Amino acid sequence: MKVNEVPQDITYYEGKKRACYALNDEGKYVIVPSSGWSAEDVVNGLAVAELAANLEKTRQEVLKGLKSPLAYHMERRQMTPEILAKTVGMLSFRVRRHFRPDVFNRLKSAVLERYARALALTEQELKSVPGMSSEERLKTE
Amino acid sequence: MSREITAGGKTFIHQHAAHCESGVASALFRDQGFDISEALVFGIGSGIFFGHLFFVKMVGLPITTYRSQPGAIFRKAGKRLGVKFVTQRFRNPQKGMDELRRLLQEGKIVGMTTNIYWLSYFPNRFRFQFNGHNLIALREIAGGFRVSDPVLEHPVDCLAEDLERARFAHGPLEPHGFMYYPQSVPQNPDIKKACILGMKDTCNMMLRIPIPIFGVRGMRFLAKKIKKSPHKLGFAEACRHLANIVRMQEEIGTGGAGFRFIYAAFLQEAAELFGSAELIDLSKEMTAIGDIWREFAVMSARIIKQRGQTEDTFDNIYDILMECADREEDLFRKLKDVVRKLKA
Repeated sequence: MKVNEVPQDITYYEGKKRACYALNDEGKYVIVPSSGWSAEDVVNGLAVAELAANLEKTRQEVLKGLKSPLAYHMERRQMTPEILAKTVGMLSFRVRRHFRPDVFNRLKSAVLERYARALALTEQELKSVPGMSSEERLKTE
Repeated sequence: MSREITAGGKTFIHQHAAHCESGVASALFRDQGFDISEALVFGIGSGIFFGHLFFVKMVGLPITTYRSQPGAIFRKAGKRLGVKFVTQRFRNPQKGMDELRRLLQEGKIVGMTTNIYWLSYFPNRFRFQFNGHNLIALREIAGGFRVSDPVLEHPVDCLAEDLERARFAHGPLEPHGFMYYPQSVPQNPDIKKACILGMKDTCNMMLRIPIPIFGVRGMRFLAKKIKKSPHKLGFAEACRHLANIVRMQEEIGTGGAGFRFIYAAFLQEAAELFGSAELIDLSKEMTAIGDIWREFAVMSARIIKQRGQTEDTFDNIYDILMECADREEDLFRKLKDVVRKLKA
């Protein structure tokens, strides 16, 4: 790759640039900042879209009352039940059980606080998902 | 490149690097007065590799790696150059943060292993749960730390809360607040000898691991798997797998073409060091191979974007990967012969 071939296509690094190694005119390797590459955007976009679609699916399930808000917030932090379990210091089957809305609604404040700290949220945020009406929010409290 | 003052009043020069680990290691060496480039550290630490770990899954997709395991560059480069590091891990996050603050007050700069998801200064698209990102803390500021993250152009501010979460994140490869700083750097480190050791190790890793998912054989294994994937998994799923492979190759911290260009840069520097014309040729060949890897990425992106409406097929991908494998095998065999003749 030559210096003038370093892709400067799009700026989805949010203004940040990443370093690419490329050959200059004298055939020496130099570091050139790149602002993005369209080929990379395709593959990264696919992964980002997939995460967003899964998250939206979970959000809908929470709104329908099939899952607890904990499932949504865990996914938003891109965690798995295993990682979350280790972070809060519980067994993963217990964390999975807390994805059931009926179980989640009965949780003690101390347990909720552990989850809130692990996910960097407040307890209030943990109990709701975006798009939840205030009525529903009251029900979960 | 930008300047930054550490707590000890020393000037720290931040250099943009392609890979976090070699970038941090070379910055720590430079801070000790041992001027070494990122590419040299990468080569000496045998950073280049290939492996398709079909049984290790991240977000449900198998891992394809273009580099050696996290931590290896730092460990190997340190050993081969004779640099002694102080390393620490902590059970208690509070103690880990206190110790960091204490060292920074002493005027040291400290390298750390972190989880990239919790570093909020990164663009959102690149934040994912991965516990192998390295950065350097320069000094404490109000509410946080000034950090030099080698994959970014300039030093940035990081909240203390973010850093604590990142250092003590859980999941695979837990960092446990791992931090390190050089204790002593030898007066005249034998760079030539270290280069030879690094190159030999790399040749062995690429050619001689008797498990067919690593090295050049891993590339062929992957090529065959990709060829079969549309029949086995269906087109959409095959695209997902392909996209993940290209992501691992090009996303932050590779310097382009899955570390092939940075290794070519290393070979170029080594050629100058030894005055060897053969190494220059190998560097050129590595660049050419890197260009094929880029072509592979472009072709994959076309297939994914146009949903199979192009002339490119998974068979073409197979051909291109096999070409990469053949040429890399040839290159590392030649490198092995060249290294044997080099004198430290």
